[in-house]
Amino acid sequence: MNKRNVDLSSPSSTGDISTNLLYLMHIHDSAFPIGSYTHSFGMETYIQSDHIRTKQDLFDFCSMYVHENLVYTDAIFVKEAFEKVQASDWDGLIRLENICDASKNAEETRVASRMMGKQFLQAILPVFESESLLRWKQLLDNKAIKGHFPITYSIYAVEMGYDLFTTMLTFIYSSTVGLVHNAVRAIPLGQKAGIQVIHQLIPEISYGAKNAMDKQLKDLSNHAVGLELSSMQHKFLQSRLFIS
Amino acid sequence: MQPLVNNAKIPLSKSNGKLDLSFEQKRGKTMMVDCYQHPPLKASRGLYLDGSSHVTVYLMESSGGLVAGDRNDFNIQVGQGANVTLRPQSATKVYPAFNNQPSSQQISINLEAGAELEWDHEEVIPFKDASFESKTSIQMTPSSSLLWGEILYPGREKRGESFVFDKCQTHLEIWVDHHCIAYDTLHLKPSEQNLKKLGALETYNFIGSLWFISPKLEGNDWNVDGLLEQHDNHKSGVSTLNGNGILIRWLSNRLPLLKKELENLSNYFKEIENTV
Repeated sequence: MNKRNVDLSSPSSTGDISTNLLYLMHIHDSAFPIGSYTHSFGMETYIQSDHIRTKQDLFDFCSMYVHENLVYTDAIFVKEAFEKVQASDWDGLIRLENICDASKNAEETRVASRMMGKQFLQAILPVFESESLLRWKQLLDNKAIKGHFPITYSIYAVEMGYDLFTTMLTFIYSSTVGLVHNAVRAIPLGQKAGIQVIHQLIPEISYGAKNAMDKQLKDLSNHAVGLELSSMQHKFLQSRLFIS
Repeated sequence: MQPLVNNAKIPLSKSNGKLDLSFEQKRGKTMMVDCYQHPPLKASRGLYLDGSSHVTVYLMESSGGLVAGDRNDFNIQVGQGANVTLRPQSATKVYPAFNNQPSSQQISINLEAGAELEWDHEEVIPFKDASFESKTSIQMTPSSSLLWGEILYPGREKRGESFVFDKCQTHLEIWVDHHCIAYDTLHLKPSEQNLKKLGALETYNFIGSLWFISPKLEGNDWNVDGLLEQHDNHKSGVSTLNGNGILIRWLSNRLPLLKKELENLSNYFKEIENTV
């Protein structure tokens, strides 16, 4: 990237750090249409059974979600994908995505992750020219991959030149904050309570991201089994606000 | 067959058990054509229960458990159209790890076209301070089928041990041709994780899993709801895999009920498998 000769009409050639920060904020805006507001990844089952009822319950749950789920699952896929994209190891990336798909035992959560990845591609490709993302979209169209969000997101992050830690941090942040927003609607809680929970979660997210930096594919762990069962049971709920 | 003694002496030196079994379908009958065994692992001879053509083999571990640094390797080859049931005769007991050496177990399985394997079923009991790593890799084809059950204990429950092991890692991966359809890893490290939290293992002690992968599921209207009870101290979930596969997963504090359901579900899936 040439910092002195910035072509502002093309995001990929924008070398300005603050501009890149805005692009990053843009894709994590809750209005960015990747459908995160339609997925609870099993949380709704706990809300309906009154296991998550108060502000404190929500904080405890989201804290578990960061430390026992994201750090051991999707954050590892973000990290591994990031390194494979950097190395242009496409075969490795396809294999990794296959493993990501297979590692999600609960069908609804598996499908949700695919849907978000696909929607991310649909939203970003018309406004952002990227050879890697186009190639990824082709692989998706050819059914070589399912499009899982953590990996698709990582490809975008490498293209934009974000560093690995920022990529992991923002991924964990938006995954967690998305859940809080959804919980606030579903429980329901007041907006103020939602903000308090997010505020309280931020150090947890940061700690989680640092922790995930030391992890590798071999550290993958599905020990958030309770959440997995909740996701499996979700489709049997009488009425549902969320797809997953 | 040597009976297993409960209080078997802990061996002093590291042991490397090995069991390589090959099965082939010959004249309509499944035969165990090759059996290499290295203590403490042993296999029974092939048994034909109820005069059936499919073979059942008991897997035996004569040392009484894995001690720091011990390693057991299983290699199972099931040839075209062969039909095999493997029954570990006892749970895998993992003794405390001294000098930071984990015990490990590797299971490698290859199922050729039309081959059927039932592993009935794997139980792991990591004792206090135990450190255990297990890896199971299964390679199969779209026409082969697999029934795999397992229960992970939190420790010796009769001694009140509950997640006081140092580390317990299980890894199961199942590939159908070049597609991974299951990649399930549990890395439990109680001192570093909040396992009791809502969403993690909660108040539950036992984790059960039953995997069934079979071409017979295609177009089959299976329904397991009537076979699974939900209680405060026992719950389960059912999920379909990407491909012709089902996973039933349990979290439970009621071991007898968990075992009963695992058995009932296994029988239900075997019926599906045996439909023409």
